[in-house]
Amino acid sequence: MGVKGKTNKPVFDKIHFSVILLISAMVVLMALPVQTYGAETVKQEKEEKGFDAGKVIIDHILDSYDWHLADYGDLHISIPLPVILLYEGKWHFFFSNKFHHGKYAYNGFRIAAEGAKKGKIIRVLDDGVTPDPNASFLLDLSLTKNAVSIILTSVLLCFLLINVARNYKKFGSHSPPRGLASFLEPIVLFVRDDIAKTAIPEKKVNTFLPYLLTLFAFIFLNNLVGIVPLFPGGANVTGNISVTITLAMFTFFTWHIFANREYWKHIFNTPGVPIFLKLPIPLMPLIEIVGVIIKPLILALRLFANITAGHMVILGFASLIFVLGAKVASMGFAISPLSVLFVIFMNFLELLVAFIQAYIFTFFSAIFIGMGVPEEHH
Amino acid sequence: MELVMPGIGLIFWTTVAFGMVLIILRKFAWKPILYTIKERENYIAQSLKQSKRIQRELDELDNTKEKLMIQAKATAEEIIQKARIDGEQIVKAAQQKAQKEASQLINDAHNAITAERRAVEKEIRQQIALLSVDIAKHVIQDEFNDIGKKNKYVNKLLEDIPLN
Repeated sequence: MGVKGKTNKPVFDKIHFSVILLISAMVVLMALPVQTYGAETVKQEKEEKGFDAGKVIIDHILDSYDWHLADYGDLHISIPLPVILLYEGKWHFFFSNKFHHGKYAYNGFRIAAEGAKKGKIIRVLDDGVTPDPNASFLLDLSLTKNAVSIILTSVLLCFLLINVARNYKKFGSHSPPRGLASFLEPIVLFVRDDIAKTAIPEKKVNTFLPYLLTLFAFIFLNNLVGIVPLFPGGANVTGNISVTITLAMFTFFTWHIFANREYWKHIFNTPGVPIFLKLPIPLMPLIEIVGVIIKPLILALRLFANITAGHMVILGFASLIFVLGAKVASMGFAISPLSVLFVIFMNFLELLVAFIQAYIFTFFSAIFIGMGVPEEHH
Repeated sequence: MELVMPGIGLIFWTTVAFGMVLIILRKFAWKPILYTIKERENYIAQSLKQSKRIQRELDELDNTKEKLMIQAKATAEEIIQKARIDGEQIVKAAQQKAQKEASQLINDAHNAITAERRAVEKEIRQQIALLSVDIAKHVIQDEFNDIGKKNKYVNKLLEDIPLN
């Protein structure tokens, strides 16, 4: 035990160091461009009257190329994030403040204001507005708000859990869990006993347990960080379809890479089904394959829809104040206690949802993985 | 529409981030944590089993102790009983022996006394006889100067006189 703890110590220090590095990098990154950018945009969008709640809510829920912090009057304060593009074999790196909140094009790229690619970076003609009709494929690997948030929470997660693991090593197995470990241990036991062991055959549990635990912790932490309204929280990470589809794909591949013969037999030659459903038209295999594809998609959609809906409701209640306030100021003040009360209520509900959705995603992942490794009986 | 359109960039970064987290946590977090939890569970199970075993052993020891106590008490009583009987027997034997010896002594004494008396009686009779003879000699000497007559008379006398 003691020897093991010593050998892993440098790793922990590296993680510790990388957290500090990342945070300081973020601080440096946000410090310079924010003010200059803010000054330039003071005189823009004077014509916007009233309060468009729908637009605000959608803007908060969607991913974006810069991290919007706050508005003060006409001053938009946001952190520009790195844009990484591969176009016609050439890499383009620059910060998103070059787009000036989507107002300008830069190097022939701009954020589409409308159309199928609205909100994404597209290639434009020399006039800087018209989309290039002959544009070839544009690979957009920009570190968007959600990407940065995912990286930050990943680092946080690694930092926290390695810390807990160190704690375990320090106190050994003959001591009750202490500190952060006592918070984590019920979750670990919950995932192990109530998720993994109920869905996966006993012998295979240990193979998939680290994956399920990571999945649960990752979704749970991202859900929680998403509820926090201030930087570095507030990014709607687990309410983004790209993220949830990626996680579902991880489950899909884990499920099928580890699947055994019994499972494939079940897909292509379902036992207990009349032969005319398999030959000459492979009806049953087709149905099974469709089911296999739909399962992870539903998994992704469920998480995406639940988290997005939660964010929408909270933002809706908060927007109510400004919608009414824009008409008559006193109405805004009058409604605010009620709105705040509802937002508080919704936040508590979201805390619950954060756990439940992490649980459901992990549970269904475990069930799918368990389906792939049925006990072989011959 | 933008809401449900997956973007390649975010998919890429999520894959990278989640993949890294999975690899790092698998090696540096879950492995030691799960190992320690398993170890602790084994330890607790073993301790419970051990405590049950110790309890059982203690109970057994208690039983043995009680049995031994009862046995010891019984043995002690037996020993005491036996000692008492032995003692009584010894006393009785001693008494008998003493009695026997006493009666022997009395018997011996009695015999000795009888023998002595016999001897004394015999001597006295002899003495008496001798004295009588002497007296008679003195008495008869004058009468019987003749030795022949005298001897005849003595022998006749001796025969006539009863022993007692």
